Amino acid sequence: MFLRRFVLGALASVPLLTALPGAAFALPPDQARAFIQQAGDRLVAIVNGPGSQSQKANALRDLVNQVVAVDQVGDYVLGRYINIATPEQKQQFHSLFRQLIAYNITYQIKAYQGVSFKVNGTAPQGNGVVVDTTVTAPDKQPADVGWVVEDVGGQPKIVDVIVAGTSLRITTRNDYAGVINDNGGRFAALLTAMQNQIDKIAAQSG
Amino acid sequence: MTRKLKQRLGRGLACMAPGVTLALTLAGCATAPPKSDTAAYQAYQEQNDPLEPTNRVFFKVNNTLDTYFMKPIAQGYTHVTTQGMRNHVGDFTSNIGEPARMLNFMAGGYPRDAGTSMLRFIINSTAGVGGFFDPASALGLKKTDTDFGLTLASWGAPPGPYLYLPFFGPSGARDFWNLPVQWFATPMEAAPESTALNDFGYSEMGIHLINTRAQLLGTIDQINATALDPYATFRSLYRQSRESQMQQIQANNKRTWPNWYPPQAQ
Repeated sequence: MFLRRFVLGALASVPLLTALPGAAFALPPDQARAFIQQAGDRLVAIVNGPGSQSQKANALRDLVNQVVAVDQVGDYVLGRYINIATPEQKQQFHSLFRQLIAYNITYQIKAYQGVSFKVNGTAPQGNGVVVDTTVTAPDKQPADVGWVVEDVGGQPKIVDVIVAGTSLRITTRNDYAGVINDNGGRFAALLTAMQNQIDKIAAQSG
Repeated sequence: MTRKLKQRLGRGLACMAPGVTLALTLAGCATAPPKSDTAAYQAYQEQNDPLEPTNRVFFKVNNTLDTYFMKPIAQGYTHVTTQGMRNHVGDFTSNIGEPARMLNFMAGGYPRDAGTSMLRFIINSTAGVGGFFDPASALGLKKTDTDFGLTLASWGAPPGPYLYLPFFGPSGARDFWNLPVQWFATPMEAAPESTALNDFGYSEMGIHLINTRAQLLGTIDQINATALDPYATFRSLYRQSRESQMQQIQANNKRTWPNWYPPQAQ
């Protein structure tokens, strides 16, 4: 009797064991640190390097797609609206979100000409690690910027940026929720606002 | 002293009167969505901004004032100063705020933070040439910011609904009480009344505002350019930053028990 229970129990726990390697493990702090150092070096090289504004923008977009878990951040920003949006709306949201991130980064290129950064310490946060850096640019106060790195699909990826105690993804989530709220809780209003913003920026830079 | 206090109080109220009157005449409330609409109701509760329509009016007013008044001044100021100079001015105005910070830390029950503030004021006012330099930071006494709103928080006061005040900007039902306290909490208040001191006080306040605005030129432009709803973005940033200030205060208020004393369980 006991043996049967034992064997059944052991069998029942087999799927748990096989599931383990797929589960997200806590990222080693050193790996997160090295990852941020490398990503930051590439970013500085692009911003300060040669090339036209649009070439730099393209290079930065590629870099962001490689080092930032854009879809995961998008899901976080959606928050509770992830259950309200239709699958098509969600898809449209992710596409617009990607474009907006690219535009927002392009907006910063000029302002951060001559940027440099220094990696300080690391601290655990949630499932990941926050890597503290000091970002220095000419004519700007040095800023302490924290990069939250998590293991996403076996790779370290940036999931949040923290400046002066404020999280970028929480701020964006509240920003977007504000738009939906002001439009009587209609999710479609957010997509329209995002599209309008993209059109506006495209008109300014074009 | 009493006469001076009355005078200052009168002047402070006179400064606030137009804003408060405007707020009262415009006071409009957002209509809460019905509880049956769970998502919308939750969102409304989370925003905790029942005065949003009025707040948005003041947000617009302040933005207009900023565009035509504060921002051009700050840009001109940036033009004639270097980043180094602006940092020293920042150190100077921050040093003048240090005694008020010490009192707030004492009232809030953060003895270590209060001690740090006191030492910072003494070191920076002397070795730091009247506060223009910050040698205290180099000695490991880093600045921790606080104000009366955070003292109320340490007494257990909840932040309450969000308020966007004319001229002063983001605040809340709790942080609002910071304004009258801040008005008196300067070292100049303790000194005997004199015209020169009053003028110094006003110029210090002016330069503090301009310097702070100048340090935020890029940040505010960026938010206005990239946020879908700058009002909601500033609201979120304000709340997060208050939360983070509170955590910073608690983190920096390290216990300094002697080695032999049994450490308290936390």
